[in-house]
Amino acid sequence: MLPDFSYIQPETVKEAVDALTDDAVVCAGGSDLLGCMREGIITPARVVSLEALDQLKGITKTPEGGLAIGAMTTIADIAKNPLVNSMYPGLAQGARQVASPQLRNQGTIGGNLCQKPRCWYYRGEFDCLRKGGKLCYARRGQHQFHAIFGHDNLCYITHPSDTAPPLVSLNARVLVKGPEKNRTIPVAQLHVAPSFNPRAETVLEPKEIITRVVLPPVSENLKSSYRKVRARRAWDFALAGVALALEMDGDTVLDARVVLSGAAPIPWRSSAVEKTIIGHQLNRQTIAAAAAAVTKNAEPLEKNTYKTYLFEGMIEEELARFTPRDQE
Amino acid sequence: MAEQKNSYYTQGLSVPETPAPGEEPAFWKQTHVVGKRLPRVDAYERVSGAAVYPSDITLPNMIYGAVLRCPHPHANVTKVDVSRAKKMPGVRAVITGQTPEAKKLKWKYNDYSGPLFDTHCRFEGEAVAAVAADTHFQAWDAVRAIDVAYEVLPFVADHNKALSDDAPDIHDSGNLVGTDEYERGDVARGFDAADVVLEQEYHTQSELHTPMELHGCVAGWDKDRLTLWESTQGVYAVQSEIAEILNLPLSKVRVIGHYMGGGFGSKLKPGKYTVLAALLARQSGRPVKLILTREETYLCTGNRPASTMHLKAGVKKDGTLTACDFTCTGPSGAYPAGGTALVDWQIRDLYACDNVRCASKDVYINAGPARPFRAPGHPQASWALEQMMDDLADKIGMDPVALRLKNIPEISQGRNQPYTTTGLKQCIEKGAEQFGWKKAVERAKAHNQTDTHIKRGVGMGACVWFVGGGGPPSTVIIKLFRDGSVNLNMGASDIGTGTKTVMAMVAAEELGVAPEVIQIEHADTETTQYATPSGGSKTVPTESPTVRNAAIAVKRQLLEMASEDLNVPASDLDYEGAQIISRNDKNKRIKVTDVSRLKKRGVVVGVGYRGPNPPKKSVNPFAAQFCELAVNTKTGEMQILRFLSANDSGRVLDRLTYDNQVFGGIVMGIGFGMTEFRQLDARQTGRLCNRNWHDYKLPTALDVPVDMESLPIEIDDPEANNTGTKGLGEPVTIPTAAAIANALFMATGIRFTRAPVNPIEMRRHLTAKKEG
Repeated sequence: MLPDFSYIQPETVKEAVDALTDDAVVCAGGSDLLGCMREGIITPARVVSLEALDQLKGITKTPEGGLAIGAMTTIADIAKNPLVNSMYPGLAQGARQVASPQLRNQGTIGGNLCQKPRCWYYRGEFDCLRKGGKLCYARRGQHQFHAIFGHDNLCYITHPSDTAPPLVSLNARVLVKGPEKNRTIPVAQLHVAPSFNPRAETVLEPKEIITRVVLPPVSENLKSSYRKVRARRAWDFALAGVALALEMDGDTVLDARVVLSGAAPIPWRSSAVEKTIIGHQLNRQTIAAAAAAVTKNAEPLEKNTYKTYLFEGMIEEELARFTPRDQE
Repeated sequence: MAEQKNSYYTQGLSVPETPAPGEEPAFWKQTHVVGKRLPRVDAYERVSGAAVYPSDITLPNMIYGAVLRCPHPHANVTKVDVSRAKKMPGVRAVITGQTPEAKKLKWKYNDYSGPLFDTHCRFEGEAVAAVAADTHFQAWDAVRAIDVAYEVLPFVADHNKALSDDAPDIHDSGNLVGTDEYERGDVARGFDAADVVLEQEYHTQSELHTPMELHGCVAGWDKDRLTLWESTQGVYAVQSEIAEILNLPLSKVRVIGHYMGGGFGSKLKPGKYTVLAALLARQSGRPVKLILTREETYLCTGNRPASTMHLKAGVKKDGTLTACDFTCTGPSGAYPAGGTALVDWQIRDLYACDNVRCASKDVYINAGPARPFRAPGHPQASWALEQMMDDLADKIGMDPVALRLKNIPEISQGRNQPYTTTGLKQCIEKGAEQFGWKKAVERAKAHNQTDTHIKRGVGMGACVWFVGGGGPPSTVIIKLFRDGSVNLNMGASDIGTGTKTVMAMVAAEELGVAPEVIQIEHADTETTQYATPSGGSKTVPTESPTVRNAAIAVKRQLLEMASEDLNVPASDLDYEGAQIISRNDKNKRIKVTDVSRLKKRGVVVGVGYRGPNPPKKSVNPFAAQFCELAVNTKTGEMQILRFLSANDSGRVLDRLTYDNQVFGGIVMGIGFGMTEFRQLDARQTGRLCNRNWHDYKLPTALDVPVDMESLPIEIDDPEANNTGTKGLGEPVTIPTAAAIANALFMATGIRFTRAPVNPIEMRRHLTAKKEG
């Protein structure tokens, strides 16, 4: 049952920012927000809908040769966009693996980046640390879906987004509009580790709105992908996922960005894997070493140690996709 | 009235011979409507949204109910202060354990009876108070304004710890609900005679009922008469319980349940919500709609209880089973609710074995009480038995199909009497043949020899369902109007399986009319006839013979009437298509719609009753299922590639709804085997973790194979009943999960004894296997 709130649908971005009072929330697609409100996780007095802001919808080429994706562009539109598919297959694959067709039609890229965690203690009637309580229930409780990296022994959520890992791997930035100024934040710096603030998911200030996601131009050598393993085959968040962005010269990796989902409270960049493959031929030995490296520094809990092996297997499988077929 | 083109077949389609008065109808040799693929008679209403479910009911002046529920798994309520809630806007009724109307009322769980509002709350979600207000929102605001204090008590959430010394007592009598024991032959001697003896512990999880339509009702009073629009599997079952609880004559309780969105066993009876809605309606003087939220249904409207099973079995080298020793512990939940009900039936009855011992222990835990869940107990034991059969086969070097065929019993060993028919052998044999079992096994094994981390497996399982023969009582009335159109009146609910369609087909078959002109009137205690609830896979074998009897009663009367027109005795008359003719003088004939007394009366009313089942025989359906799947041994992901279900459920009435039942059963079995589990926060708060559709994982379209095949094994069973039908709804889901587990074993070499096997469980075991 939703609590009482007022609903505002501004027609310009400035109006939207102005409407964001201290007790207001932004509603993009609303697919996550309404659930949070129904469950009493967020109790805003005012909901500011970005629905009418057509200027925040759509995908365009940037003068530099990259792409700008309006924050209100739906996940479904990103998944099927030819430019996204040809330039950033990792992002397209991520978008395609979000939730279900209905939710992809409703959910937006801006909303997807600002999702609340799916931890069942956070969503349930538990006074958990992230909601202002003293305790992370996942730590001693039922944590088979929870984080093995970056939890700082404070909060064990995994970041739920399937678009954030590919965006981080592709060096994307978000443009943010605030009451005073605009700013640009690399997606890699958008999300917040528990040790920094266990009660926030992003670095956005309360009155800031993401307006665009900007992707840099891609070189011909860039290969990107996103792979997600889930408990059931659709409409589910990642048990483990990986976004790869590899600069390849033949079968040699010139540069790599490897970002994990289902791993940590934020999209988790695995520099251990990157180090193992950069400058190396992507052959069996390199792949085996990279797979072994992904589990380095993992801090699983009692019931989610399987995730370390899952990441290992998945990295092995995913990297093998970028080896030339006829090799060996 | 003009003759309707389709009312009566005019092409001279044969109508079954009308038995003489007092004679039983002959078994249908050949059918014209029955057995075809007929879309549902109410498909348009269901798809267009015109069908009115209880959740859709709105009445003038109707208000909304909401229930305050205990948030702790175990607590004493020490204070309930509703003074603030009562003053809230729109609030018209508030009831608690102190409300005079509620104070004296009892609520039952099996043989347990307690106060409607018990201050000792034994599970999360137990009702503490209820309100009704002009809007949903006001009702929930008022619920939140009730001031309750709890003394939180220690809880036990794990059925394996329920009987330990340090577990808190949930009831004064302790935490043992009851035990059940069974023995035949001499198990010890059986094991001595075996060449191979294996034993294994198996676990299955608790599944939560998730019918599309939520549990609930609309209750309204008209002076001293209560009307309930309830989402239920049986309107008469709701009527009788509510009349008893509220101390009303049955005639003063009307229950209507024309459409309902699924129950799977959880809607065989009214809920406490039904009583609360009636009380709120009486206090407010308004109709009250009380439909639970999904979170509430997950807490308190039932589940398939978890199980911990141990099975020891012995086999000779030639495949003869020599002994089975089975134990099971399962939780009823917080009140007696059949925590281990029927769990050992597969062991007792499915495969021939002279020496069998079963013992089960039903215990209390601080969680919502169980309710029957599609084939109660059966998929659990199937999970154990069918995996054990495969292990035994492996140990003696026998094919799993061959081992099962070696152990087909001749009689029902559990009841020590013959079956009317058993298609177990044919289900396994023909199913294996149609599935291409041998080739599939070879193909999978050859594939697994290649250098790939995607492994393949095929697996199978068979089953018997405990009941499925139906039986009395049942009464059906068929009215044939003077234009030849038909009204069929029965009390049974169509729980989504196609009951209305199937019964229209039976009436059409017997009367020779088109199914389209049959109007069904059903599931209303005031206007339709007594029926037991639709459950236990018994609606078709119970109601279809009754429908046939009612149709025959119509035909007999018409023959009597026609004898006046034709001046020949009725015994000389029978049907020829839409005409009644003399057997001795084919020139004496009359169209049914021309029969004088029918035209004058306007209608012929036939009453049918369900006759008894054959004495000292069991009527049971059987099935065998086969599946093929792939496993990604790096990630633990699995994909089911195909499924085949061979079912002996007697005669197929509607092949379309039959196949859909089969596919639905497989889907549900995939949920049991691979995706669904109730997660309690057992180590901390005891509360339910997964109470929404993300966290409680039902299988999606992508978890289910496109390639599903239904293979009916139709064996004439004239002894079972006059339509030769047996139940289908439950056997279709019994061996599914076990067949999956057996296929997973072939793919990975891992025995998955703990259900469900999702990628988490798979990945854990792949690691454990690697590390040895």
